[in-house]
Amino acid sequence: MINELDCRGLACPAPVLQAKEVLEKDAPDCLTVIVDNEAAWQNVSRFLEYRNFQVSIEKSGHDFRVVGTRTGEDVVAADNKPAPEPAAGERHNKKILVMVTTDRIGHGDDKLGAGLLINFLKTLKEMGPDLWCLVLLNSGVTLTAPGSAAVPILQELAGEEGVRILVCGTCLEHYKLLDKKQVGETTNMLDIVTGMQLADSVINI
Amino acid sequence: MTNPTIRLTRTVKGAGCAAKLAPGDLDRALCGLDLPVDENLIVGLERADDAGVYRISDDLALVQTIDFFPPMVDDPYCFGQIAAVNALSDIYAMGGTPKTAMNVVAFPAKSMDISILRAVIDGGLHKMREAGVVLVGGHTVEDDELKYGLAVTGFIHPGRILTKKKLRPGDRLILTKPLGTGIICTAIKGGMAGPAVTDKVIRAMATLNRDAALVMRDYPVHACTDITGFGFLGHLAEMVVDSGQGVRIRATDVPLYPEALEWAAMGLVPAGAYNNRNFRGDFVDFSRSVPQNLQDLLFDPQTSGGLLIAVDSGAASSLLDALAAQGVAGAAIVGEVVAGPREKIIVE
Repeated sequence: MINELDCRGLACPAPVLQAKEVLEKDAPDCLTVIVDNEAAWQNVSRFLEYRNFQVSIEKSGHDFRVVGTRTGEDVVAADNKPAPEPAAGERHNKKILVMVTTDRIGHGDDKLGAGLLINFLKTLKEMGPDLWCLVLLNSGVTLTAPGSAAVPILQELAGEEGVRILVCGTCLEHYKLLDKKQVGETTNMLDIVTGMQLADSVINI
Repeated sequence: MTNPTIRLTRTVKGAGCAAKLAPGDLDRALCGLDLPVDENLIVGLERADDAGVYRISDDLALVQTIDFFPPMVDDPYCFGQIAAVNALSDIYAMGGTPKTAMNVVAFPAKSMDISILRAVIDGGLHKMREAGVVLVGGHTVEDDELKYGLAVTGFIHPGRILTKKKLRPGDRLILTKPLGTGIICTAIKGGMAGPAVTDKVIRAMATLNRDAALVMRDYPVHACTDITGFGFLGHLAEMVVDSGQGVRIRATDVPLYPEALEWAAMGLVPAGAYNNRNFRGDFVDFSRSVPQNLQDLLFDPQTSGGLLIAVDSGAASSLLDALAAQGVAGAAIVGEVVAGPREKIIVE
């Protein structure tokens, strides 16, 4: 079991994160954290108090020893709980995530399909603030390539409308577009899955 | 949201405006230096305003500023957007219209792929286009850490400059963006912030103060500044010192991110917030009802924060309505200017 952490030379938030890890792994009744700057001792004190420790500070030279002694139940559950709800009065938009996995809509005439997709992207902003996130996968990522008619539309969505545009990194690599992408954030499957989980509705194209 | 190959915030020591040199240190460096004099320099270094102003003719002046910092978010494109918005903000805070910009870049070419730099600059260009600003050049040096920002030049009418110093007793103070980005960016750096809150603050930091600035032109605004590295109370302290007035703030009316309150209580407070408190704490009297984590938030260094506007009391609520109509959601009246105690900020 660890009862003492040497966090000298570390900038915030590292000392707090190390202390948090120790509390969660070993749950010691007493923990001393040695730090060498004001922000670190203040932050470690706040953290230990928040987790129901009584805290005293001993200064020696340039170092601070933050000594915490447990006084009550740890509140692990409290800081692992989901983020607080937005304050009352803040408008809470629905979150719509649109998955675009192709560079054209439907089967049949490919030229028509490509035109339809551009029109679809242009019209998407009519969803207003409910449109939260646009995910581009497979040949959908080619819409971000230089020369694609979709680039200015996507840039407008990302800029004026504040829509997040997530572009699959694996797909960009496959199409050799990783360093050519004109718009959007390169992302991975974990982020895409998390996005789908957070969305209120997911629309697939 | 994370880039699959690299997390930008893990590559740097300080994040965003939290990386600013401690305010007291800067004062010590500049104090007593012999500055060139020019009668056309209307706002210069000795006044420490948001941007410098140089008169060209009776109805035209240049307004100039520079801002750059290390990344506070992981996505390079978003970082570029935020850095550009943050730099442009000083021009808006003075009441000016930004016209041209130059990139200021430090890049670790040995450890980072050049495509990251491209994405950063692309993000900056996106916001320059939105602001109607042209890029005229730039300067790039190799460095251990990525840093990006802009030097911006704008136009302003010499008679319509909004400085920090003309607060009048009775003025209402309006803040246009919520506080807490420094604490939330510390949580992002620590891997504690989920995608929803990360998304929310990135959007806010990448939102230009242009709309708020355009709206306030039609109202009797006496002073304005933008909230960045010195935090809400740090920038407010500059206003009370420069004007010789006092201010009363109702802490519960100040717009903020609720997540930041929770993380402040947990000790995810950036070092810049402690520097700001050490430098300006003497100007502030907190009432006992203001808890520690809320005090921390009021000193939290903001990246690309909102405008703090002092407006004639009779026009405050109509300005607030006009801001909301223009889409500046979340703006709030946070306090008022009082004749005394002078050079004090009372937070109730």
